[in-house]
Amino acid sequence: MRIAVLLSAGLHPVSGAPVLPRVEAQAIRLAAGLGASSEIFGLHAGPEAAAVAEALGQGLDRIEHVAVAAGEDPVPALVARLAERAPDLILAGRRSQGGDESGLVPYALARALAMPLMPDVVAAAAAEDGALRLDQSLGRGALRRVLVRGPVVVTCHPDAPAPLAYAYGRARRGRVETVAIAPVATPAPALAAEERPYRRRPRIVKGAPAGGSAAERLKAATGESGPAGSGRLLIQPDPEDAAREILTYLRQIGVVAAPAEPKT
Amino acid sequence: MTRPRRDPRAEWAAQFVAGAGLRPRYDRTRRAAAGRPRRDPRSEREAQHVGAAARPRYDLGQAGRPLGEAVVAPPRSVPEAPQTIIVEAPAFLVAVVPDAPGGRLSGHDRQVLGAARALAGREGAVAAIVEGACEGLGAAGADRVLRLEAAEGYDPAARAARIEAALAALAACHTLFPESLDGGDLARRVAVGLREPLFTNAEVVAAKGLVRPARGRRVEQSLAAPRFATVAPDAVADYAGPPREARAVPIDGPTPLPPKRILSATRIPADPATVPLSLAEFVVSAGNGLTDLDSFRQVVAALHATPGASRVLCDAGLMPRHSQVGASGTVLAATCYFALGISGAPQHLQGVAGCEHVVAVNTDLHAAMIERAGLAVVQDAQAVMPALLRLLAQETAGRATGAGMAP
Repeated sequence: MRIAVLLSAGLHPVSGAPVLPRVEAQAIRLAAGLGASSEIFGLHAGPEAAAVAEALGQGLDRIEHVAVAAGEDPVPALVARLAERAPDLILAGRRSQGGDESGLVPYALARALAMPLMPDVVAAAAAEDGALRLDQSLGRGALRRVLVRGPVVVTCHPDAPAPLAYAYGRARRGRVETVAIAPVATPAPALAAEERPYRRRPRIVKGAPAGGSAAERLKAATGESGPAGSGRLLIQPDPEDAAREILTYLRQIGVVAAPAEPKT
Repeated sequence: MTRPRRDPRAEWAAQFVAGAGLRPRYDRTRRAAAGRPRRDPRSEREAQHVGAAARPRYDLGQAGRPLGEAVVAPPRSVPEAPQTIIVEAPAFLVAVVPDAPGGRLSGHDRQVLGAARALAGREGAVAAIVEGACEGLGAAGADRVLRLEAAEGYDPAARAARIEAALAALAACHTLFPESLDGGDLARRVAVGLREPLFTNAEVVAAKGLVRPARGRRVEQSLAAPRFATVAPDAVADYAGPPREARAVPIDGPTPLPPKRILSATRIPADPATVPLSLAEFVVSAGNGLTDLDSFRQVVAALHATPGASRVLCDAGLMPRHSQVGASGTVLAATCYFALGISGAPQHLQGVAGCEHVVAVNTDLHAAMIERAGLAVVQDAQAVMPALLRLLAQETAGRATGAGMAP
């Protein structure tokens, strides 16, 4: 199986230093877990190859670098190279880090290569007759297990297993090759947005009155003024009645499954 | 909130006594109808007088219960049912594609509808595109509803194709998606499919423009309302006005769907015993009112919930520290919180603030947790727990015998 891992030149969220995004290191681990017989290579399109050299220490042996001018859309170059190599699985991070962070590149690639895309994958395994078994994160610890065939683009979710430890020897042995590509010109739609320094905005507290007093805002923050604040009150009921009421309430809001009907 | 502005001229005019001679006369004892009623401290004090003993005694707990009629509060007018707002011929449409898991709008969906409402303003209309039945769209701010047929199974590409067709039929000016796992995925598929740029993760949505963070929150990018955008969670307020019409919009026939590439998809629910407390859906929590922690653990297992605890139990070493709920422990995002023997200190209630439903069992009627709960039971949790276990055991036993008797 040939696996391509897309690498991006990320910036550290705190220091702003160049760094490999964690979710891409996790994607490398997912690829490494798919079997030793598979051929894994990294692919980066950008002005400099040094930005992704860290990925060599995270478990990649070879990175292909496609030179693209800074500020230019990397998708046409990536599409051209991936169409040449025709990998069975393309792994990517969820969002870039330090750039526009729109997360659109994997979707544009999947569209241009006419491949299905599976988002937010936390585990991957090879199934029988060439299919892939992917576990998608649904949030709150729930998963969706999907069986998909054929070449597929997969984006990795931060809940995937932690990346492999950085190995200095591997980073020395690995190599970055620059590939010359004549990209097919497909102008990507771009937004001309105005930029200014970021300003933090307060989170919306649900139910807080606009311009209310501090006591009212505290009540909203502790949830005492919400719909739950005006609930039913049972004073000294029989414990059996109380248990029945509680169970009915829990079933009504749907957190406890209804008692299954006897099977016929 | 600001007080209504006074109009002194109108007040004087209201106090004018007509036909009282040449000189204008004003009756200053007449009060304007609006405004706070005048307090009468003497009659309030009189009302607090208790008993007829030689020494006067006053019950200061009875505040604001006057005897006299001077300070009778005006009868509060009953708020009438708000009128539904109808936009007959909207100047433009703002489409919203909510996630609506299980046919119910999530909190994030409501925020996106609120954002769309802010974008639509008075002239525009908000059109929600939902799959299958979905309730509460009008109250959340939708003027039009486009109901697509619910699809079977998991096929995001087919869903995106259906939404693309619906958006083309609707000719919406702007389209908003929630930046959630499913909604963000769908937004990117639709935007790439229609070859339109997408403004992701907007934190401010107003008619003037949208704002999103970029480059690790170092800069923010602002733009006049784009055609496609996703809205960040907890950034925009819900729609708070009177309900909207939510008129159904007809949709023409089925759309050609892309070939199916997914062989099978099964949902694996989270294991409540191992899921982290901050992610748990349903938390059952123990407090100082419990002594029998064994039956507490049985209740947790029988309800398929995640165990939590108050600070007192964790400090005493009776429950692990990572199960502590509250300001110094975990802040929950659960759907339901079931508090057994917890009185509800403010720090604990902060941890529960995000929970939609709260059930409390406590012996103290005046506990803060009882006040917070949607279903409050004033009873000893030690007595309620075995009753719950018995009830659940009866149900399983009934099911087993029912299954045994069936042919």
